[in-house]
Amino acid sequence: MATTALRPAIAQRSRLYDWLTTTDHKKIGILYFFNSLLLFLVGGTLALAVRTELAQPGLQVMNESTYNQMFTMHASVMIFWVVIPFLAGFGNYLTPLMIGAPDMAFPRINALSFWLLPLSALIAILGFPLGGAAANGWTSYSPLAQEKYASGLGTDLWIIALLLVGTSSILGAINFLVTIFKMRAPGMTLFRMPIFVWTILVTSVLVLMGTPVLTAALMMLYIDRNFGGAFFNTALEGGNAILWQNVFWFYSHPAVYIMILPAMGIVSEVIPTFSRKPLFGYKAFVFATAAIGALGFSVWAHHMFTTGSVYLPFFSLMTFLIAVPTGVKMFNWVATMFKGKLSITTSMAFAIGFLAMFLIGGINGAFLASVPVDYHVHATYWIVAHIHYVLFGGSVMGVFAGIYYWFPKMFGRMLDETLGKIHFIGIFIGMNLTFFPMHLLGTDGMTRRIADYSATAGWNDLNMVATIGGFTIAVAMLPFLWNVFSSLRSGHPAGDNPWEGSTLEWATTSPPPAWNFDRLPPIRSERPVFDQRQAATIAAAAAAAATRAVAAAATTAVAETAQATAGH
Amino acid sequence: MAFTRKRPQRRAAILLLLAAAAVLVSGCTDFDVRTAFPPDAATTQGQATRNLYDIVFLIGIAVFVLVEGLILFAVLRYRRRKGDDELPPQIHGNNKLEIIWTAIPIAIVLALFVLSWQTLNTIDARKQDPPVRIGVVAYQWQWQFVYAPPDVRWEDCGAPQNKGTCVTVIGLPPPGGDRTNWTPPQMHVPVGETVELQMHSNDVIHSFYVPAFLYQRDITPRKDQVIQFLADHEGTYRGQCTQFCGLLHQAMEFEVVVESRDAFNGWLQTALTPPPAPTPAPSASTQPGASQQPGASQQPGATVQLTLTASGIAFDTDSLEVPADTPFQIVFANNDAGIPHNVAIHKDSPTGELVWSGDIFNGVETRTYDVPALPAGIYGFVCVVHPNMTGTLTAK
Repeated sequence: MATTALRPAIAQRSRLYDWLTTTDHKKIGILYFFNSLLLFLVGGTLALAVRTELAQPGLQVMNESTYNQMFTMHASVMIFWVVIPFLAGFGNYLTPLMIGAPDMAFPRINALSFWLLPLSALIAILGFPLGGAAANGWTSYSPLAQEKYASGLGTDLWIIALLLVGTSSILGAINFLVTIFKMRAPGMTLFRMPIFVWTILVTSVLVLMGTPVLTAALMMLYIDRNFGGAFFNTALEGGNAILWQNVFWFYSHPAVYIMILPAMGIVSEVIPTFSRKPLFGYKAFVFATAAIGALGFSVWAHHMFTTGSVYLPFFSLMTFLIAVPTGVKMFNWVATMFKGKLSITTSMAFAIGFLAMFLIGGINGAFLASVPVDYHVHATYWIVAHIHYVLFGGSVMGVFAGIYYWFPKMFGRMLDETLGKIHFIGIFIGMNLTFFPMHLLGTDGMTRRIADYSATAGWNDLNMVATIGGFTIAVAMLPFLWNVFSSLRSGHPAGDNPWEGSTLEWATTSPPPAWNFDRLPPIRSERPVFDQRQAATIAAAAAAAATRAVAAAATTAVAETAQATAGH
Repeated sequence: MAFTRKRPQRRAAILLLLAAAAVLVSGCTDFDVRTAFPPDAATTQGQATRNLYDIVFLIGIAVFVLVEGLILFAVLRYRRRKGDDELPPQIHGNNKLEIIWTAIPIAIVLALFVLSWQTLNTIDARKQDPPVRIGVVAYQWQWQFVYAPPDVRWEDCGAPQNKGTCVTVIGLPPPGGDRTNWTPPQMHVPVGETVELQMHSNDVIHSFYVPAFLYQRDITPRKDQVIQFLADHEGTYRGQCTQFCGLLHQAMEFEVVVESRDAFNGWLQTALTPPPAPTPAPSASTQPGASQQPGASQQPGATVQLTLTASGIAFDTDSLEVPADTPFQIVFANNDAGIPHNVAIHKDSPTGELVWSGDIFNGVETRTYDVPALPAGIYGFVCVVHPNMTGTLTAK
């Protein structure tokens, strides 16, 4: 390859061209970040539309058809284009940095997995101007999703969009796994990896095992709708509506763990840093993560308890059991804070918010594992409360904790702490106002996915509170958006390691160079940067101790000599 | 949260918010706060679920208080003071603790699992030959409750030899989505007797849910479901479809009337007696003996005949034409098996003023409606059961 000795002239490309064609995992991570943030605003707007309609009984601002599109697209956008990609974005940005690698294993595939996301989001949203978006709920149960009952283009677009998202996820998962297994720096053994990387690893396994099943199911649904297939179409002999639920939830229940495990990983980085302690029970944490991943594939049918087509005891038992590793994590987080020295930064506030809120999502989830209780609260607002305490109180809180924590690394500038605290308090109050009343509505029997409810059922006031909460969340997002915008331009310079972080990403500059590291610190534990920082202190202390010892020895010697002399 | 209580200005902000919330709550004098508990159970099965719910709730509250308490304590107690640069003890873990907080939750969830399973067996217990059997048909977007005599299968109620022996309650969604003058259909059941529901859906998945029964069951096409309950408290209880089933899912409300055996028999008897005069419009949700009624108004001598077919929840045409000021007939074929349809004519558009409405009947059947003369103009026709089945009728 002699010709490579001569470097080609570096063409001057525009910055836009640079961003559109980049294969740098950090830039792709940042693209994930802004794409997810934009779609978070889209999904949030859809949620506000839903809450506005439900504020009062009667149909005030939209008809049933529009309402059904709104809640369907709210859930689809938030799950497939916000929470999963937000976390995948963190994975993209951080995984190579945390394991001391220069980039992902397959940089171009990495770019492809990102660009499939805005494309697919566009396709799904295109349904709105083209005769109505999908309106079958994000679960798209058959036969409701069949051509006969959902004849619009929206459902087909939704299927195609999800196929593309699935492809993006599968490509990303393979990329993560190869990167983690093959590209760790010397000394970075598996049990020295940051917990966040562990959660990305387990998540990638879940994606790789679950998403192809969803992809197959979506293709079957597409064939049913367009080519007269009889997979799920009960109008035809052989069509089985329950089959769709089985294959759909075989992916979509693990998807909940895909959406929560990396958020747990983020919190597991943030809490130790701001407690100035290592994570309590690192190995227990790794095993708990793996256990959640494994059990996560044996609980899907708890979404189907009321179908009468499920072997109830097995799925009930498995669902109860999955609470155990989650509980282990909770205790480990709390134990990490015990006897620590806590700095309540915005990032830490969101991490603690995660603990407090995700706990509620765990407890109200245990109700659903109990089959008879599920018979009562299934498909009511109790479920809506549960999913939002997990995905908003858990995943979204975790995402915000991560943004405040790694923004300085990503952009070299600090986010404003005062605006951050306002953001946190607004989100915290808003989410509880929105989602807590839903428990009460749910036990009282208010079913979900209804555009209207009876004015005499006694649900008017609680629905109004939930709507006020929804707008509180929306308002609380404004200081955050302003914070991101203004800090990008004029935030306080961050320096390499503003939080005294202990993992490898803090060993390089902020933002890191394209090749990530000029040199790596020695990796002898799960906290290489902590070790490096302490090495100096330890050396100084050892030197001081040595000096003291020499001095003491000298003093003793002098005294002894004096005594000897006196004795003479 | 605790970490916001440290500084006075934040404490003030929180107090302000709490005060605002208090004002908001007291502002509406009868603020409807539901409890975190299900409604009082109206069935023995529901009571079993309720007892279990209370146990799960207590354990949930205990876990909540313990863990939130630990979080709060850690946040309040272990704070880094300004200028404190000394590291806290670097504790990496403790295997004994890990075992404890793995074992105790396992014990709790196993106990909950066993309790749940026992309760499940109670509520799923079946009785042979229940005294009351009701056929429940769920369809987009309402319910039908069919009461057949003991020797007739409810599915066969439409057969000619069974005319006049069955009672069919046909529910209609609120016209135009407006609930103000609308009553949901009612299922009558006697108190203190086991009732069996044989549930069927022909179109999409629905779910039969009565909150006061603390019970729901999906009704999937090609998977008929049988459930039993014993209602032990008289009253009228709200019910609703819980499985999202399309456009008017929210309108699939119904009521269960639990009444004494005498009242139940009385209701059944009244429902079996055909009403003296044909009703012009099915404004009442209950259409007793609907299947044996003739056309809504007899107009002998009508010679103009139109044909209209309903199949796949759609009319075969969206425009009809009739001569003005002449009575006419509509030969209406309902080809949707087990699904009720009808034809109603409204002024100007399908949501305009009601002019005439034909009987609602189940497919597959063809009936001839006699329609009185209409003045020249534009009309809308619609299936009352399916407000999305519409068309335009022109009289000229």
